[in-house]
Amino acid sequence: MVRFEEVSLRYDAGPEILSRVSFALDPGSFHFVTGPSGAGKSSLLRLLFLGLQPSDGRFSLFGRDVAGLNRDERALVRRRIGVVFQDFRLLDHLTVVENVALPLRVTGQKGQKIHEHVTELLSWVGLAEQLNAHPPTLSGGQQQRVAIARAVIARPSLLLADEPTGNVDDRLAVRLLYLFEELNKLGTTVLIATHNESLVARFSHPVLRLKDGSMTLERAAYATSSSTAGTAA
Amino acid sequence: MVYLASLAVAAALLVHQVTERWEMSLADGLTIQVPPPSEEDAGAVYSARVDQLVRLLGEWPGVGQARHLGPAEVSALLEPWLGEAGVSQDLPVPALIAVELVPGAAFDLAALTAEMRGVAPGVLVDDHQKWLGDLLVLGQSIKIGALVVVLLIIASAVTAVVFLTRTGLAIHQKVISLLHVIGAHDSYIARQFQIHALRLGLAGGLFGLCLAAATILSAGAWLRSTENEVLPDLALSLGSWSVLLLLPPATALVAMVTARITVLRSLARMP
Ligand SMILES: Nc1ncnc2c1ncn2[C@@H]1O[C@H](COP(=O)(O)OP(=O)(O)O)[C@@H](O)[C@H]1O
Ligand SMILES: [Mg+2]
Repeated sequence: MVRFEEVSLRYDAGPEILSRVSFALDPGSFHFVTGPSGAGKSSLLRLLFLGLQPSDGRFSLFGRDVAGLNRDERALVRRRIGVVFQDFRLLDHLTVVENVALPLRVTGQKGQKIHEHVTELLSWVGLAEQLNAHPPTLSGGQQQRVAIARAVIARPSLLLADEPTGNVDDRLAVRLLYLFEELNKLGTTVLIATHNESLVARFSHPVLRLKDGSMTLERAAYATSSSTAGTAA
Repeated sequence: MVYLASLAVAAALLVHQVTERWEMSLADGLTIQVPPPSEEDAGAVYSARVDQLVRLLGEWPGVGQARHLGPAEVSALLEPWLGEAGVSQDLPVPALIAVELVPGAAFDLAALTAEMRGVAPGVLVDDHQKWLGDLLVLGQSIKIGALVVVLLIIASAVTAVVFLTRTGLAIHQKVISLLHVIGAHDSYIARQFQIHALRLGLAGGLFGLCLAAATILSAGAWLRSTENEVLPDLALSLGSWSVLLLLPPATALVAMVTARITVLRSLARMP
């Protein structure tokens, strides 16, 4: 599903954020990425959704070397990845339904079919009453669920979430993680970036820990499915 | 912007129309003055001489029509200077012959003048060229001035449209990058904004044009109501209106192309 081989990353002429990081995510696995603030968790996710290019090393997604993809192929790869951004990135001028429908719209689907599909998913995340609301009128927790719905509406193979529990209380945070586990059981590979160690401690999924540009794998033994990860170089 | 550009274009087109009309009505004509009879050869001799000139002119190659202006027409022409009282029969007034030339035909003015002097010594030929020339120079400079103004306004209108479109897109940077992240192709993203810009440009352009049309029409109506004779009718021809009608689509096109280029450029910065 995902394979990093000695990937390094630096922004422009800045210091190295990731140094020769190697790991792999098997299909259907569930991982956390943790580490202190500034450790490079968000940057790692950005590499994964092709929002950045590594300064060194190579990695593959869905069995294809990313460096060999042209622009249109990269767009197609992105469609198989759902991303929950830390700041949600909802479009304020669109309704909740329209926001969630966007990933389907860009693939050229349209009309009633999309609407039914989106409404169904929104009721599932408890937003049946907010279908035609605009994001700024929603609470933080509601916006978060809209962002999650948008990330999963196109049934992505890989789900990336950046601090998805950053804006909600502990109880809601745990419930959101249950939601990700549900999606994982349906076959989606999940990678969640969080600095919330106590939350990570309540689950048994394997942890990729980032520190000083290096990555270590923890709790590989707890892996619920056949997830594996190589330790950092 | 379209409003100002429309007004400027309208002004230029108007000047063009007017000078063209002057040219058409005056270029191909002559006025012949036959000096009034002196004491001895009054009456019959004089009018026979004028008739002879008219006949001579009518047969001259390149001349379309020659017409002796009757006393009534001459009075009408002189009225502004001599007043309502009109031209007294006693006042010696030269006979006037209006000559229309066949446009484009070869015409020998010098030979004609010599021939006419043979019939009636002292004949004066006014070929309109001198004051027409002055008028055309004036018209040309107004036209050039208007053209410069039009170009300036169009240039600033284009700049404004480009600038507004780009500012609008900067606001939509968030939308562009989100669509990019969820896997939209560049062409798809560009299309969304292109269509939007096209619509906005067209709507704004039509609005500006409507305002300009209202201004032009009411200015024309006002000029007509003042009943002045000096300024020609300010009504724009159908052709001029159709040029103005091209402005909104042109604006929309500029906005659309700007949107496309700007979106593709900002997408090129995203991996
Ligand atoms: N766009 C950027 N340009 C330059 N430096 C950046 C950029 N984004 C993040 N960084 C730097 O990279 C490091 C890692 O940031 P980030 O990936 O956001 O860490 P985390 O998500 O673990 O808090 C930080 O030192 C941050 O300052
Ligand atoms: Mg972060």
